[in-house]
Amino acid sequence: MNRLALPYLLILPSFVLAAAIILWPVGEIVTLAVHDVNRFGMLRGFIGFDNFRELFADPDFFAALWRTLVWTAAVVLGTLVVSTPIALILNEDFYGRSLARVLIMLPWAISLTMTAIVWRWALNGESGMLNSGLRGLGLMNENIQWLAQASTAFPMQILIGILVSIPFTVTIFLGGLSSVPEDLYDAAAIEGAGRWTQFRLITLPLLRPFINIAFVLNTIYVFNSFPIIWATTQGGPANSTDILVTYLYKLGFRLGKLGEASAVSLIMFAILLVFTLIYVRLTMREEAA
Amino acid sequence: MTKFARALLFASAGLLALGNAAEAGTVRVTIAEYSKGTGPYFEAAAKAFEAANPGTKIQIEVVPWDNLQQKLTTDISAGANSDLSIIGTRWLLDYVRQGVVAPLDSYVTPEFKGRFIETFLTPSVLDGKVYGLPIAASARAVYYNKDVFAKAGYDTLPATWAEFKTAAEKIKASGSGVFPFGLQGKEIETDVYYYYGLWSEGGEIIKDGKSGLDSPAAIEAAKLYKSFIDGGLTQPGVTSYNREDVQNLFKQGKVATVITAPFLSGQIKKEAPNLNYGVAAIPAGPSGDHGTYGVTDSIVLFANSKVKDEAWKFLDFLFTTDQRVAFDKVEGFLPVNAEEAKNPLFADNADLKVFASLLPKARFAPVIPGWEDIAQTTSNAIQKIYLGQGEIEPTLKEAAAKVNATLSKN
Repeated sequence: MNRLALPYLLILPSFVLAAAIILWPVGEIVTLAVHDVNRFGMLRGFIGFDNFRELFADPDFFAALWRTLVWTAAVVLGTLVVSTPIALILNEDFYGRSLARVLIMLPWAISLTMTAIVWRWALNGESGMLNSGLRGLGLMNENIQWLAQASTAFPMQILIGILVSIPFTVTIFLGGLSSVPEDLYDAAAIEGAGRWTQFRLITLPLLRPFINIAFVLNTIYVFNSFPIIWATTQGGPANSTDILVTYLYKLGFRLGKLGEASAVSLIMFAILLVFTLIYVRLTMREEAA
Repeated sequence: MTKFARALLFASAGLLALGNAAEAGTVRVTIAEYSKGTGPYFEAAAKAFEAANPGTKIQIEVVPWDNLQQKLTTDISAGANSDLSIIGTRWLLDYVRQGVVAPLDSYVTPEFKGRFIETFLTPSVLDGKVYGLPIAASARAVYYNKDVFAKAGYDTLPATWAEFKTAAEKIKASGSGVFPFGLQGKEIETDVYYYYGLWSEGGEIIKDGKSGLDSPAAIEAAKLYKSFIDGGLTQPGVTSYNREDVQNLFKQGKVATVITAPFLSGQIKKEAPNLNYGVAAIPAGPSGDHGTYGVTDSIVLFANSKVKDEAWKFLDFLFTTDQRVAFDKVEGFLPVNAEEAKNPLFADNADLKVFASLLPKARFAPVIPGWEDIAQTTSNAIQKIYLGQGEIEPTLKEAAAKVNATLSKN
């Protein structure tokens, strides 16, 4: 066996599998995107880039695109910022740590859609738990209609997004923290480094690869996340909380414009691809350096 | 490798054969889940039918309403659709144009046609051909809280919007904390809730092939609803309430009125038996116009079905009087069958009588392609107005232009 061909041969099975799962559907979507397609996916003739042109003429598309970026950035960064201290605390040895870990992980066991629906009820203006809780604490007198307008609904959706991303991120961080050798801290303590300095100079650099992983995976999940926004507002009122996935869903399954919906999903695919490439580039350069 | 490929081929051929065996004499029926009772009713009907027609099997698939359109779309594009399915009659035109559903005329006898109340069969007839049968029918009326109105000095719901608004102000002034007008502003049928006002003002959704959204009636209707919102006469934050949410507020006694379909009566009986409510026509506009929304869902036969005769037999069975009574009793829909309407269950029901009396003035969703598109444009515009994010006239004019573009495209 040729030594040069062997590695390729060995990765061939997984490549074929990946191709069947990824490349074939992408090919199908490309076909749909450049054709005039009826509601039931039947092709009615090649139209080139008309579907894209139609999209770019729609202000709602650009609004959804921009909102998707805000949504992804806010949820991912928010999750990283909140998860780091939680992971640090859970990494400490204290009484009841196992219980605390279970409690933090528990939301992970509940389906995203169910969490989102529970939040929809909690955010209900007249009978929601959040309003009655805030009133009970004496923090406000008037009910807030959380989901009635984007200015309150969208921040709440971001908060829910952060909340449901925490368990996964904390798990990754805990794995990372357990690989940091204890004696580094002992040595640093002897040298007179305080806790903040220890965190900044030891924990953070050693945690870096795990933060990177959490960052990339969360970005992909959140960018494509449908249930939270759909269950709470369906992208409304008046498309003001739409992100690309909810926009795509309405376009495809409500309005029956499968061609345009395919075009949207290609654009989303391209955005994620570019993002992943940049990320791979960055990490490779880092490793080389 | 070749051995494996052959094994795979065999396996798939076996699967195909299995699939075919199950298909022979089996009629697959996709059912929209209207309530918890829908599935059990159809299962029971299928059993009764199978007992009377040995050799034919009925396979019922129950799908939640919200997912029905999506499921049918994917099933049809994959060629894996059932033989019969319930669809919203407003989708029918799209389905007929794409050649997906089969006309039923070769099966429909004059006797069969005669079973129906004509108002309900008409929406399923396109170009003179029957493409669907009205499996479910409803209309809309106002449910009002009698106790709340009595406290404000009214025995019944006022008959015009002007009087209703006066009553609403009195209810608000009484300080009971009940919001007089339950207004839906979210999700499916947000547009329809606005059309009630539009029709009262004498407007039409579509007139002479053009959108009626920029007509004076449409503007008046929007102003009317907005004045309710601004006057604090609706529940706050209307754009966060879908129809179920408003119905729930009504059951809890938090809003004094809600415009909805007959099935609310059954829900109230179960969930809020002490609520003292009445049902009345939607208030009329200044010139006495008032409209209600008539809705039917059709059961259709797909063109690619291989068991059309068996499927028709099942349809024939479903539309016998006994079956219709059983179904409408479970769901609280209006009778579509003339014989059925005489059943004391419906004839002596005070709530249903009100609904039935409104039918002559009922408007059905116009038979135009792209109806969902128009509904979404209208809902978006009306939400902007409710939120105060758009001036009424320009917002409606813009929406009308968009609707006209949709209409001319198809």
